[in-house]
Amino acid sequence: MDSLFSQLSVLGSSLVLLFGLILLWRRGISAYVGAFAAQSMVLSAVIAIVGYFGNDHELYWVAGTLFLLKGLVIPRLLRRMERRFAVEREMEPYVNTASSLVVSGLLVLFGYMVTRPLVGLSQLPTRAGMPLAMGLVLVSLFVVISRKKALTQVIGFLMLENGLALLAVLGTYGIPLIVELGVALDVLMGFLVMQIFVYRIHETFESIDVEQLNRLRY
Amino acid sequence: MSPFALLLGPPLLAAVLAAVVVPYRPLVGWTGALLSLSSVGAALVFWSRLLAGDVPTSGPGEFLRADALSTLLALCVSVVGALAAWLGPGMGEDDGYEPAQARRFRIFSSLFTFTMLFAVTANNVGFMWIAIEATTITSAMLIPLHVTKASVEASWKYILIGSIGIALAFGGTVLGYFDFVNMAGRQDAALHWTVLRASAAHLHPEVIKLAFVFILVGYGTKAGLAPMHTWLPDAHSEAPAPLSAMMSGVLLAVALYAVMRWEAVVNATVGTGFTDGLYITLGVLSVAIAAFSLVIQRNYKRMLAYSSIEHTGLICVGLALGPLGTFAAMLHLLNHTLAKSMMFFLAGRVLHRYGTTEIARVSGLLKVMPWTGGLFAAGILAVVGLPPFGLFVSEFALFRAGFSVGRPWLVALILALLAVAFVSMIGHLNRMLYGVPTAGVRTGEDRLWPLIPLGLCATTLVVLGITLPAPLETLLRQIVAIVER
Repeated sequence: MDSLFSQLSVLGSSLVLLFGLILLWRRGISAYVGAFAAQSMVLSAVIAIVGYFGNDHELYWVAGTLFLLKGLVIPRLLRRMERRFAVEREMEPYVNTASSLVVSGLLVLFGYMVTRPLVGLSQLPTRAGMPLAMGLVLVSLFVVISRKKALTQVIGFLMLENGLALLAVLGTYGIPLIVELGVALDVLMGFLVMQIFVYRIHETFESIDVEQLNRLRY
Repeated sequence: MSPFALLLGPPLLAAVLAAVVVPYRPLVGWTGALLSLSSVGAALVFWSRLLAGDVPTSGPGEFLRADALSTLLALCVSVVGALAAWLGPGMGEDDGYEPAQARRFRIFSSLFTFTMLFAVTANNVGFMWIAIEATTITSAMLIPLHVTKASVEASWKYILIGSIGIALAFGGTVLGYFDFVNMAGRQDAALHWTVLRASAAHLHPEVIKLAFVFILVGYGTKAGLAPMHTWLPDAHSEAPAPLSAMMSGVLLAVALYAVMRWEAVVNATVGTGFTDGLYITLGVLSVAIAAFSLVIQRNYKRMLAYSSIEHTGLICVGLALGPLGTFAAMLHLLNHTLAKSMMFFLAGRVLHRYGTTEIARVSGLLKVMPWTGGLFAAGILAVVGLPPFGLFVSEFALFRAGFSVGRPWLVALILALLAVAFVSMIGHLNRMLYGVPTAGVRTGEDRLWPLIPLGLCATTLVVLGITLPAPLETLLRQIVAIVER
């Protein structure tokens, strides 16, 4: 039983990380939105699995909220934005695809190094997935700093949050429910404000390329 | 009524009022301004209860808690919040803001104050995180009060870098919780700071160290510590003056407060050596980057922003210098809040009159606006650390702390960097104060009453430069006892 649980959680975590890596080699923003939606759905499945095997029914609420928010609502808003900026693809990121993939490989390895004390300390059957979650956090950070479109940066940020949510559920079976709900509310508000600003960047600069944001220096 | 309700309720009420009344009416502004005084009063009540040896708490499981550290921060936030409410858009006859802008300012600045006050009184570090994340959202909405390319750019950088920093701090919070759960099992009170602190001795050192790195990088981003400071000069220079004052005066301090909460836990687990090293590295780097950026500065609002990075760095270094250093750092935090919020309000007056933020295009300030210019000069002298202002005393105490823990080279390095900052800021000040008034700029002060509260800030700074009142000393000693042990 425990081994099935542990295998499922590692499988789920790997899928979550893989969907994150799609940001590195695809160019179209619609592919990113699809990857993010799929990642969030797998993540909520992982949370539900942990809830089932860990016998913690509060986690079903967390999984449901996450599924609704990040699996359905936010991707829908992202698609609407994407239609507005359909012509703008991530053509020339600061780091090309091949180097990006190499860097991400190194970052995932680094994630393994950083989480070694955690995996050593934990007794939970889910512990083997924690390095993958840390890997996703680091890869998402890399996406945010190496890509030029504001919308890609937003998706990178949302994936970073998914990585942290995965880390929390694998390491601790989730933080207290009331805090979790507050965090979900913050995520939604933060996303909505970011959305306002992406539209505003588009209005003022007539593009969502952050390379033009270079007026303020020193 | 509980003092917590008097602290947190009024800003929330002011925000609701401003949201409900459309279009904006001056009465809304006046009501908000009067309400803001209630928060200041509540903070003073906490202070007096602490002096009597009692820690005010409220709600189930000490949900809200105001120990000495919380009280100092609550006092700073509520005072600057009150300044912003009294001097912000929509209070005077003609301040260049449309009613719609004034309404937006009233809604979001009140919410901003509320989130900061909640962050410093929440006992649960999870809620503290939620509140600090919410400060990013509420303040980002206000930066482009005038929509220009520069202000949109500044707010995008702020919200993106700030959100990522805060997300990393969440990672640190999760790691800290992970550590606790591994030791004591899952329980709802696990994220309460008091519980974490009490069980700190049993936490796993490696994990709590990793958690603190995430916390320091995460909240440090919001506090403007180098090298995560890149959003700060942009946001502080493009934001409207009252918001700059709030961000520079207290938002940075609130972020540092969050770091200190965790520092207290980590110190109780692994001793102070670990946090000291990190504080000194980031602190010195911040002071150095700020000092050299001040030399090449051509914009006076950016100059004040870099000066904030410098002072945040100094506070950070102080936190690494033992009990005396923590004492000096907290005194410095209070002084910096008073000085910098006053300076940003004055900079707003200068900008309103000259219509530019470039130092080179502001001259003859003392002739154009004698009172504003005089206070501005006094503020710069305070910020660079000259007597008789409070910052001189706190910097002096900080250096003494450096010697007492046997780090004379660190003190020498900081002094050299402060000298660089000193020379360049005084140079910029001279260029603005004297000379022939810029052509086409009207002479004479507009409204004098806003200078009264700002003058009070300067007076308080002088008082703190001459003496350390006993109630304040007790409060600071209690903070030292919380963080160091």
